[in-house]
Amino acid sequence: MTRSMHIMVVDDEETICVALSAWLTKEGYSVETASSGQEALNRLEKKHYDLYLVDFKMPGMDGLQLVAEIKRRQPDAAIIMITAHGSIQSAVEAMKRGAIDYLCKPFDPEELSLLMERVAAAKTIQQAEVPVVDQWDTSRQASWGGIVGQSEALRLVLNEIEEVAPTSAPVLITGETGTGKDLLALAIHMRSEQAQGPFVAINCGAQSETLLESELFGHERGAFTGAVKARRGRLEMAGTGTLFLDEIGEISPKMQVNLLRVLEEKKLCRLGGNQPIDVDFRLVSATHKDLNQLMREEQFREDFFYRINVLTIHIPPLRERLEDVPVLADFFLQKYAQETGKPVEGLTPRAVEILMGYSWPGNVRELRNVIERVVVIARGRMIGADELSFLKVYGGGTRSGPAATLKEAEIQHLQNVLESCDWSITQAAKMLDIDRVTLSRKMKRFNIKRP
Amino acid sequence: MDSPTADIAAETLLDLIPYGEEIDPLALSVLAANLQAVVGLRTCIRPFRDHPEEAFIPTRYQFDAVKVLDDLCREKEGALFRMGVIQRDLCIPILTYVYGESQLGGHTAVISLHRLHHIDRQVYYERGAKIAIHEAGHLLGLEHCREPGCLMRFSKQLEQLDLLPMRFCPACEYEIARLLKKAIQNRH
Repeated sequence: MTRSMHIMVVDDEETICVALSAWLTKEGYSVETASSGQEALNRLEKKHYDLYLVDFKMPGMDGLQLVAEIKRRQPDAAIIMITAHGSIQSAVEAMKRGAIDYLCKPFDPEELSLLMERVAAAKTIQQAEVPVVDQWDTSRQASWGGIVGQSEALRLVLNEIEEVAPTSAPVLITGETGTGKDLLALAIHMRSEQAQGPFVAINCGAQSETLLESELFGHERGAFTGAVKARRGRLEMAGTGTLFLDEIGEISPKMQVNLLRVLEEKKLCRLGGNQPIDVDFRLVSATHKDLNQLMREEQFREDFFYRINVLTIHIPPLRERLEDVPVLADFFLQKYAQETGKPVEGLTPRAVEILMGYSWPGNVRELRNVIERVVVIARGRMIGADELSFLKVYGGGTRSGPAATLKEAEIQHLQNVLESCDWSITQAAKMLDIDRVTLSRKMKRFNIKRP
Repeated sequence: MDSPTADIAAETLLDLIPYGEEIDPLALSVLAANLQAVVGLRTCIRPFRDHPEEAFIPTRYQFDAVKVLDDLCREKEGALFRMGVIQRDLCIPILTYVYGESQLGGHTAVISLHRLHHIDRQVYYERGAKIAIHEAGHLLGLEHCREPGCLMRFSKQLEQLDLLPMRFCPACEYEIARLLKKAIQNRH
């Protein structure tokens, strides 16, 4: 439920205005009061409110007239008529003129609370409904083996994949971390002659050299302490399929020599073994590093580079293809909504705007994590600007700025806001447009403490 | 001679003022103990006093909570915060009933034990303590909280109140401690 509703109470009885305003303020809503219909209309000229609570019986302009005037000036306004017992007929008349509901004085607190929640939820959906589906679905291309997007840059990448996939030549995929190089590798495999064989992937940067050697080449029984039985390596497992070596820039020159030999001879020996095993896999490698630079620094062998880099595909970072952001966000939103069982249906236009304004240093992976996070914390059917407030402040600002991580930027901003509020969580949360529980959790997670 | 710090620590921060002698004294003790333990308000139970008749609404047979607050506001002496406790039913003009009412960020609050009855006396006492703690939170300036396990959450029904633990969520707890400290500093 959003608590950011702006409510106007219109009643000539001051006690009613004060009591209702106090009650709604404690509920977390922003409330203003007007003692007459004319005063309410004057205020409405300057500012629109999300909800109007209008008393039926007022001197001068009565509630029915005021409902009609508000509707004329603000057609999407939500209005609730306040009536006395025994004047249901007037409530019905008010609803005919556009009021969404009525309350009989005095209200039951439970009824008032439920009605407020219902109005707030309806408001969130109303804000979100308009263009999202049209914007996205008309231009949406089918997701491509998990690769989702609609940008020209991505279309060119997919065309390249279509071209290189049917050959058996090694492919090197370059691109920043988090751009989805593994998905491209899989797409190449699925469109290649090796598609009937296995797709074996290994991240070369995730393990030590000795472990990686054992993982790649396998070992015979007794090859080293703990090798209690023989084990096939990934190269052997790949057989006649595709071997995907992610983070290839991380492997040592010694391992490069060993792999180069396998690629040239199409034979390998397990560790501790001397029996050559035939392999006929296709190699697809990926790196976020500049291999040319590594070669200049003599950390990457030139012969190995030319062996793995027969064909190159570069995937641009997400900030260079922001048109993909809404489609990717929608894709991940549906995925996580399904996984978590939450009834989240989409993003509001404002939320999409915030996502499009962010520079995405962590690329698609970061976007995926952000969407997973907002789905988990979502309380309504639509993800709005509130849920993405931790990104909003950086909208556009970091697109060409220093390469600070999202986490660093978030911590810095939280500290600045807290300091400016003298470490009042309530005030800081209001400034950040999140609730104070969320802020408290962030402070705990990032270990932000009052000095 | 005690240090000034010791004086502040020992100072009564909330006066619990019972209206009408029909209030169970044990209920008052439970309220005071919980206000002290959960909110950190050193609480003193004042002598019973008569119902504020000017707050009685004969047509509804209820007491107007806002007028009871006015009555408490008129007190010149006493602790920083004052909380009235009444056995009779409370309302505000626009609502059919309230369990309690307080000035948001103010000095006075009132709670009613009228609707909290339960066959198990312990549940009854706990309900009273939860309402008192909730209103004390408002006194310190806290609005309602959305956390399911927080005493600052608005309970639409008594069953929901019963499910709440006798504590605030970490965010509200932090705010309570901060606001309480600030209120004490401002007083001195």
